[in-house]
Amino acid sequence: MSKIEEVKVLVETGKSKKVAAAVQEALDAGVKAQDILDAMVASMGVVGDKFSAGEIFVPEMLIAAKAMSKGVEVLKPHMAGDSASSLGTCVIGTVAGDLHDIGKNLVSMMIESAGFTIVDLGVDVPADKFVEAIKANENVTLVACSGLLTTTMPALKEAVQTIKASGLDVKVIVGGAPVTPEYAAEIGADGYAPDAGSAAVKAKEIVA
Amino acid sequence: MLTKRQNLMETIKGGKPDRFVKQYEFMNFIMEAPMGAMVGPGQTIVNDWGITFTWPEGQLGGFPVHDDEHKVLKDITEWRKFVKAPSAIYPEERWAAAIEHANAIDRNEEFATCFVAPGIFEMTHHLMSMEDALMALYEEPEDMHDLIDYLVEYELAYAKELIDHLHPDCIFHHDDWGSQRSSFVSPEMFEEFFLPAYKKIYGFYKANGVELIVHHSDSYAANLVPYMIEMGIDIWQGVMTTNNVPELIKKYGGQISFMGDIDSGVIDFPGWTPEIIFEKTKEACERCGKLYFIPGASHGLNFGCFPGVYESNDEAIDKMSKEMF
Ligand code: B12
Repeated sequence: MSKIEEVKVLVETGKSKKVAAAVQEALDAGVKAQDILDAMVASMGVVGDKFSAGEIFVPEMLIAAKAMSKGVEVLKPHMAGDSASSLGTCVIGTVAGDLHDIGKNLVSMMIESAGFTIVDLGVDVPADKFVEAIKANENVTLVACSGLLTTTMPALKEAVQTIKASGLDVKVIVGGAPVTPEYAAEIGADGYAPDAGSAAVKAKEIVA
Repeated sequence: MLTKRQNLMETIKGGKPDRFVKQYEFMNFIMEAPMGAMVGPGQTIVNDWGITFTWPEGQLGGFPVHDDEHKVLKDITEWRKFVKAPSAIYPEERWAAAIEHANAIDRNEEFATCFVAPGIFEMTHHLMSMEDALMALYEEPEDMHDLIDYLVEYELAYAKELIDHLHPDCIFHHDDWGSQRSSFVSPEMFEEFFLPAYKKIYGFYKANGVELIVHHSDSYAANLVPYMIEMGIDIWQGVMTTNNVPELIKKYGGQISFMGDIDSGVIDFPGWTPEIIFEKTKEACERCGKLYFIPGASHGLNFGCFPGVYESNDEAIDKMSKEMF
């Protein structure tokens, strides 16, 4: 197996303890850092698809993402400049009153591995804070809002409408168990996805 | 007319029920039984395991706090040092009200039911956060096995107290095993870690006079039903519509029954109306039929989040009983 193949397998199977060494070996063997990163991104894409298809579960996603971040740590000093991602920055958060973040974190990992820079505002994020974060960070192209409670669906709506009303040029994607594509459209979001794998696909699609 | 208990038994044994079982009607909950501290609205508490729970005013419920300062278990390999089970023995006077309640129940009419929560899986993530708990199943499986054994030991000790004092004939036990669309862990992982734990717990109850095990998981968990059967669950409460309940009934009816098929999210919200509730109840009753099925909201106790919802759901079920029986 080539070094780069090895890295891919280690990310896909979430071997976070082995991945750093494998990335180092690949670098030592002369593989370009960007190619290794691309390979890991592709692996996370596979992981996301398998999750969407119900073939793997939350723990497998978590350990794959952890493995990827271990690999990225090794790569970072070898990447030219700060390799500003072409897709821009994504501001993500769970809306006001809601503290569920497992789904949001998975979405964040997948969007990051798709090529966005992530600014994670955490949980219980009021609508204004999304707007502030768009202004405070460079090249924000996407805002992702998560809501898991039926009682925080109005907060989701408020977040989307506040962002839209600010006139800033960003796309908004929403999701969370009670959110439906119809509801997303009704509140004026640009996109919706049912799970983390498809969130990354959708994110790329709407900023393109 | 059959008693609530008889009607339930006819429903889950594939006999001749004379109406739909109405949500939780067959369970008479002995909520006076002593149990670990539970957080109330507007409170922040530290429970007997050292877990901090908070319930901000105006929220639907409480939840464990997992920032670095509050997490009980930061490193699974050190669980022996940080996880200390409380005593399962309560002073006798704490049992008095529960015993009185248990004695007053007409067991021909209803099941004397004890409520047990949180479950084993929930305990693991309350102690260490969901993400750490899920990753530890992969990264430190031996420690997770040992921790789970330790949690089971506590549960069995508490179970013995419930049985000795109250002789329940039904246990309503919480443990959420999934999100709306998938189980948290794969069936293989569930079989390895949680099946053996629950075989011990539910086996112990059944060996000690408990006739009925009702397990709450308001989630997707269709892929875990074979294990539910193996561990002795009689009724899976909380089954969400994402599970394709009619198909589950066809496949497993007779071995286990299903309570739910009405997602709380779509009927239990500030803008609920009796019409919405009736529509969802009707759909559920018509697609699931009369046997091995109990219509009801997926919510994990006999009330709704918003006033009037539970009662309206009862009325909708009464109407459907008139139509279909
Ligand atoms: C785990 C859990 C918790 C954990 C959360 C831990 C954490 N750090 O997040 C704890 C125990 C802390 C908790 C607390 C509470 N919870 Co809770 N919780 C759940 C549970 C069981 C699973 C949620 C989850 O993590 N799923 C796994 C992830 C991977 O799935 P997901 O969140 O759906 O995310 C996926 C998709 O939705 C999508 N997605 C998510 N966000 C986004 C964003 C974008 C932009 C996109 C595109 C996609 C997307 O992609 C994700 C990955 O595939 C659900 C039950 C359920 N059936 O969903 C209840 C549930 C959501 N909780 C509920 C409730 C009521 C609460 C509490 C109020 C009280 C309580 N005691 O239960 C508190 C809430 C506190 C608050 N203010 O937020 C209710 C909500 C009911 C309602 N009417 O809405 C549920 C449905 C359970 C129930 N019926 O009682 N909870």
